Amino acid sequence: MIHVNGVSKFYGTRRAVDQLDLNVRSGELFAFLGPNGAGKTTTIKMICGLLAPSGGSITVAGLPAQSSGARRQLAYVPDQPYLYDKLTGREFLRFVVEMYGIEKAHATRRIGDLIETFEMSDFIDELCESYSHGMRQRVVFASALVHDPKVLVVDEPLVGLDPRSGRIVKDLFLHQARQGVAVLMSTHLLSIAEELSDTIGIIHKGKLLARGTLPELKQQFQSDGSLEEMFLHLTGGDRPSFDRLEPVREASR
Amino acid sequence: MSQSAGRQQAIVAFRDLRSSLTRNQLRGVLQGSRLRILLILVFSLIFWGALFAFFYEGFQFLNSFLNATEEVVEYVFGIFFLSLLVMLVISNGIIVYAGMFHAREMEYLLSLPATDDRIFAYKFVEALAFSSWGFVLLGSPLLVAFGITAHAPWFYYILFLLYLLSFVLLAGSLGAMGAFCVANFASHRPRTVLAVLGVILLASLILLVSGVMRAPGELLTRDWLDSVLDRLTFSQNPLLPSRWLSHGLLAAARGEAEPALYYLLVVFSQGAVAYLLVSVMARDLLRRGFSRVQGGRSSRRRRGLYAIDSVFHAMFPFIPHPIRLLILKDLRCFRRDPAQWSQFLIFFGLLGFYFLNIRKLGSGLGNSNPYWSNLVGFLNLAVTALILSTFTTRFIYPLLSLEGRNFWILGLLPLKRESILWGKFAFSAGISLVATEVLVVLSDLMLGLEPLMIGLHIVLIAMLCFGLSAISVGLGAYMPNLREEDPSKIASGFGGTLNLLVSLVFIALMVATVALPCRAYFASMTTNTSGLYAVPYDVFVRWLALAFGLCVVIGVLAVAIPMGMGIRAFRRMEF
Repeated sequence: MIHVNGVSKFYGTRRAVDQLDLNVRSGELFAFLGPNGAGKTTTIKMICGLLAPSGGSITVAGLPAQSSGARRQLAYVPDQPYLYDKLTGREFLRFVVEMYGIEKAHATRRIGDLIETFEMSDFIDELCESYSHGMRQRVVFASALVHDPKVLVVDEPLVGLDPRSGRIVKDLFLHQARQGVAVLMSTHLLSIAEELSDTIGIIHKGKLLARGTLPELKQQFQSDGSLEEMFLHLTGGDRPSFDRLEPVREASR
Repeated sequence: MSQSAGRQQAIVAFRDLRSSLTRNQLRGVLQGSRLRILLILVFSLIFWGALFAFFYEGFQFLNSFLNATEEVVEYVFGIFFLSLLVMLVISNGIIVYAGMFHAREMEYLLSLPATDDRIFAYKFVEALAFSSWGFVLLGSPLLVAFGITAHAPWFYYILFLLYLLSFVLLAGSLGAMGAFCVANFASHRPRTVLAVLGVILLASLILLVSGVMRAPGELLTRDWLDSVLDRLTFSQNPLLPSRWLSHGLLAAARGEAEPALYYLLVVFSQGAVAYLLVSVMARDLLRRGFSRVQGGRSSRRRRGLYAIDSVFHAMFPFIPHPIRLLILKDLRCFRRDPAQWSQFLIFFGLLGFYFLNIRKLGSGLGNSNPYWSNLVGFLNLAVTALILSTFTTRFIYPLLSLEGRNFWILGLLPLKRESILWGKFAFSAGISLVATEVLVVLSDLMLGLEPLMIGLHIVLIAMLCFGLSAISVGLGAYMPNLREEDPSKIASGFGGTLNLLVSLVFIALMVATVALPCRAYFASMTTNTSGLYAVPYDVFVRWLALAFGLCVVIGVLAVAIPMGMGIRAFRRMEF
């Protein structure tokens, strides 16, 4: 469903993504791991057609990533999703439904189902400006699903969510993958990757260093330890030492 | 799904989105403070009325004094609308650039299945409304005043609204084209482009004004007017939209419907063509530009210029250390934002240029005449304070709102909250004092004023600096807008507008209180042959002392009241 072929992206002279190859099949839940600044969000934005690759090509559901056809098949939830503060959650969902041209009666049913699924009935008719982070995330995930996407791309989905909201989101990913949706999820939470993903990809300095299931990765890198140890080893992360930090003496003025 | 069906869905979805947003926004405003709504309405009406009175008197003056109404008005309209065209193009360009290529909303909109030109249309309406309300607020009193003076027929008042809307469409589309060009071809240097544009505009303005100031002939005579108009001929170039507007409006005012409609159609059709062109640009360049701007993040290392910090600490040891640190932080942020300091340079560049031309104004009005010299001296003081008030409204008022978003950083420092406000006050008053005192003293020396008046002006401008800074800092803390990241939008909102109005009232009170006894004294000195009561010097000094005392009281109140309100509100504020 998602095919990334030899993609590079430069920010000025800095290479953010370097000859990246990546495929996510239909029904696969792919966890995209990497340290800060590794190129995860850049790759995701290129897959969603928001950034143009400096080299290489990307297709989504067989269509060029920047085409409107690809956008019809795709849903994207960024790490800091945008909601219109002066709309209610229901009005926002209606807007998305209209944008995708879903037939009115079906749309109303769909919105009702999503409100139930994401447990939003208590707040869905209030303005989004009054929502907590968890409420906002639920509305955004609901809006991402109104058009039955074939591809779901999510950047850091669980940041700031309470356990209940987190559980809803995790179940959503598994459900979507079982329904045949290709799910690409970037995360820093290695436990989530271990718990949910079919495939794990580790990116560092724009290059994909490893790709496979967790057992495959352990075998590939001859590691018996946790994913965290493997991740730190691959990304060159010796544990930082705090010994050099001495107690502060107040400066005289 | 067919492409046309998809476009139709997007149109309906965006239309419904806009109407829901507007409805909810209005509902929120109506449910909010009635006093606030009333204040907005009253101040808007006062502002409109004052502009109308100013333009009406101006047209009456042209009518009676120069007796050249039609010709002069054509030039006045030409210059006025040309200036507004330039301002509208630039402001629309900036707003479209920020709204299309930097806004978080765009990331969301571009992930939707709507076509790029449709997304542009949705955002363009917003940009147009935001940048053009001021144009209508400025243009409508001018045109109504002219209509009344020229005894224009009824259809003139309908046509001028259509003219303004068509003109706004044209200017907005041109601005949007500029924004697309910058995003696609200079995405790494948008601020440099803006700064260069600012410098070019300033240079053009200086050339224009110096040309007008150097027009030969005695001031306000027919010869002088002819030579001034001669220097403004460029505004009558037939290719300029401002000229189509002025021609059409003058025809409408004369009751000539046919040419009035003809020029309206010219302006509208050019606006429509410009919009069509920019829509095509949006279709092909919006996504590309967004990618370039978002992909063009700078990773340049910055040098701290820490030597300046040391000099600053050494120069101002009497300012508490934490406040000095806050001032240095604000100075550093200001220095690293070319969009901010280019506007700052334009403000004070204009002011400097004005003062350089005082000699001409002084000699034109009779430099040896103490009445005129003093009048010009107070005019300088008022102009300086007015420009200073726009500076404090644009740059100082938003400071607290911008700080509020990151307040947790300052809030956790071992500082009292009021120290933050006093730091902003010192920052503003310091910059203002340095910039204005030099100009006022220089201009007074050039005008040959006596030491008493120079001293008076020095103290007055200092009090104005303190008062205007306190009003902006205090009201900025009293009515912060923590949701907005763009300082220009904070400044042009309700709080910013109120800040400007309060500043104007403060300036008027301060200048008028001292200027009135001076005017009475110097007028009686120079026109004693006309039978006016001659004010003895000792009486004048007593009046002046009284007026000065009153000014000190007003100045102290202007610092104490807004700062007190701001500090109380800031202490209570939750972030």
